[in-house]
Amino acid sequence: MNKEFLKAFLKRIISSLLTLFLLISFLFVLIRLSPGDPTQKFISAEFSPELIKKVTADFKLDRPLYEQYVIFIVNIFKGDLGISYNYRMPVLSVVWQFLSFTLLFASLSFVIQIIVSFYFAIKSIRKKGTRFDKVVTKLSLIVYATPAFVLGVFLIYIFSIQINLFPSSGSKSFDFDSFSFAGKIGDYFWHLTLPIITLSSAGIAMFYKYLRDNLEETYQQPFIINLRASGYNEKVILKRHVLPNAIRPLISVAGVDLGLILGGALITEIIFGLPGMGRLMMNSIFERDYPLVIGCALIAGLLIIISNFLADLLKMKLDKRMIKGLMN
Amino acid sequence: MIRKTLLFLPILLIVFLSSCGTKTEHPNRVVIGIPADVNTFNPLFAFSVDEGQITELLYLSLVDFRWNENLGELDAFPMLAKSWEWAEDSSSITFYLRDDVMWSDSIPLTTADVIFSLDVYSDPVVNSRLYGSFEDYYTDEENHIDVEKSFLVKSDYELQINFKPGSAPKLIDVVHPLIPKHIFDKYDRKDIETADANFNPVTSSPFVLKKWDRNQTITLGVNENSFLYNPDNINELIFKIIPDYTSRLTQLTKGEIDFMELIATEDIEELKNSDNVKLMTIEGREYDYVAWNNIDPFVYQNGGGITPNKFFGEKEVRIALTHAINRKEILEEYLYNYGELAATPISPIFKSYFNSNVEQYEYDPEKAREILTKQGWSDSNNNGVIDKNGVEFEFTLNIPTGKPLRTYASTIIKNNLNAVGININVESLEMGSLMDKLYARSMDAWMAAWYIPIPIELKVFWYSDLQYSPLNFGSYQNVKADEIMDELTKNSTIDKKKELYFKFQEIMHEDQPVTFMYWTSNIVGVNESLRNTGIGPYGAVTHCWEWSVEN
Repeated sequence: MNKEFLKAFLKRIISSLLTLFLLISFLFVLIRLSPGDPTQKFISAEFSPELIKKVTADFKLDRPLYEQYVIFIVNIFKGDLGISYNYRMPVLSVVWQFLSFTLLFASLSFVIQIIVSFYFAIKSIRKKGTRFDKVVTKLSLIVYATPAFVLGVFLIYIFSIQINLFPSSGSKSFDFDSFSFAGKIGDYFWHLTLPIITLSSAGIAMFYKYLRDNLEETYQQPFIINLRASGYNEKVILKRHVLPNAIRPLISVAGVDLGLILGGALITEIIFGLPGMGRLMMNSIFERDYPLVIGCALIAGLLIIISNFLADLLKMKLDKRMIKGLMN
Repeated sequence: MIRKTLLFLPILLIVFLSSCGTKTEHPNRVVIGIPADVNTFNPLFAFSVDEGQITELLYLSLVDFRWNENLGELDAFPMLAKSWEWAEDSSSITFYLRDDVMWSDSIPLTTADVIFSLDVYSDPVVNSRLYGSFEDYYTDEENHIDVEKSFLVKSDYELQINFKPGSAPKLIDVVHPLIPKHIFDKYDRKDIETADANFNPVTSSPFVLKKWDRNQTITLGVNENSFLYNPDNINELIFKIIPDYTSRLTQLTKGEIDFMELIATEDIEELKNSDNVKLMTIEGREYDYVAWNNIDPFVYQNGGGITPNKFFGEKEVRIALTHAINRKEILEEYLYNYGELAATPISPIFKSYFNSNVEQYEYDPEKAREILTKQGWSDSNNNGVIDKNGVEFEFTLNIPTGKPLRTYASTIIKNNLNAVGININVESLEMGSLMDKLYARSMDAWMAAWYIPIPIELKVFWYSDLQYSPLNFGSYQNVKADEIMDELTKNSTIDKKKELYFKFQEIMHEDQPVTFMYWTSNIVGVNESLRNTGIGPYGAVTHCWEWSVEN
């Protein structure tokens, strides 16, 4: 079994690396063929025409595409993603500065999505058919249908402008460094409350809907009647039998969701002025910072692959029958 | 009950913990909202407007400039140099440096820093923003300044700079923000671009970089040892990065930021009602235009040949198009008269050189039709669109996406031109795509804006040699205009310059290479308590060490 598992694991690693390689190769060609040029910002009434010739040569953009690609691939295998045209720093250093915030922000949002959606889904199914169940279900649809930018602007209008309870942008106060440790934690939470709500709401609604439907479906299975007839109380039935069966399909969705938000929550970051991967990726695309675009895509792709793999491992732990599926 | 309490606990925790921090009072702090972060604090690589503003607050030049409102030109005043002296024939200039200036690490600033800075600015290995701009200096074949020939060091505080024979150097072309030799000399020239010192600057100004939270804030503190330090003025300047325009505006209204540029005209009324914001305007630095490609783009792209554009090749047609467009309507209805109509590319702020005798082409569709008919355009097939030699007057007007003014203006222009029998199709393009097509000269017509340099710079926009003037996207060519532009690069008297600029404006008016639409104002929102900001055409965020806060 262990040998088979190891073989499957290695197979998964290799196919993931191949996926990433194809992704960045495709992106490499695509961004160079698309309109726009990273040297355009060097053309201005204030700069000499000599500068753009120099910069084009230094960026190796005057070389044929295949030659640029070969240089790129050789460097990738050396672990060198190149220097960002705009930041003038190694790409990985730039990405790390923004990734650390995104990891914290996205992970926090993900945990909140799971906890809140689980709470409401379980409570709804226990009070199935009641006003509570109906209201929460309808509310979840409204929240799910509301675009993130609308929700974000609405929250700023109410809680920042009208009530002045939370700040409208930024991740910390100007005087953050002078705060105590507890003050720093509080300051972060104070600044991230509205962004977390904006980012998490759609996910909460989605998980709630999935879980509630799965719970309802599981409760209708014949074995539940059997368990009740055998004298098991509802708490035990829910915890040991209904939940494990109901959450299994949800794990794949959670894996995809986690991967996506780890790649950057662009709209939330722009509305609230947060220093995350979404904004970094967007700016690098607009400024045609080719090495940085590829670096961001590589990291985002890697995070999606990792989170999907973690989701599969969790499914496997819950149900050993999944191992064969994982191997295949 | 217990569960409900537990639900509210996180909220209480947030409010409690956030109040645990020591909130210090900062009566002399100013917060400026900017849309994007900078990538460097080194003036060598300050390519964007925000980078330029911030690096010039950290690194001073030998000479500084202020805008003279009366004359409409720059006045030079001493900064790191206490005085300077031109040779009679302008072949050299001698700077006498202040001897009391220290870098923020307490090392004296001397002539060695001046020479090092200019050497590095011109070094091809470094790729600075000023590479290739030192035509007046003795340089090698790679445009790198020849230090031996160009500089004569008379002492640590006296330096003579020599220029090539026949050159016409101006003071503003000679002075640039100086960088510390003792810091950057440690690096290989090719490594300066990625050096750590770019992000931890040792400065010569009254400001030092206190903290930089990427994509969040840039905090400048004061250097009390600086000769410009004034304890009554601001002691902390924070640039807060807020990418979303509406968020910036909200924070300005709430008082979370004290300063914001480029406020949209539709938000002015709301700000006027705010008790803590006053509005100021910077006039005459940017104008919108509708460009008519003077040459045929298809022929140019296939072989590089220059033939007149079948629609816009004749100046009479271009004048007719200007008559057909109701520029005043856009200025009144959208810009609420924050701006003025433009007639030529010389801004009215240059009072000495602005030719007020050049009359506007008034909105007159009848006249437009008359001119077009004279040029052979008529609706021969009665389909509502004029034609000539079987070609209907129909083209695409390209505008950049995300620019509400241009979207609004394009609708007006479309309707105006339809009224004179011209059919246009408006197409929005992402900026990168639009720039590609501009450099390729592949479009017939487009709408854009120019932010004009100070002092006046014309060649790069209007010179006939299309290789020399990369920004002459409309491919305008006029030999007489070229002669004037060549003459203006030489040293001459103010009266002579005035004569040349006036003539240039007359030629522009007659030729109408583009339809000059209007000069737009940069509307700046400033906290009521802010004093001495000196906002003017030279810039909004300049000389911030002179700002003070009235408490």
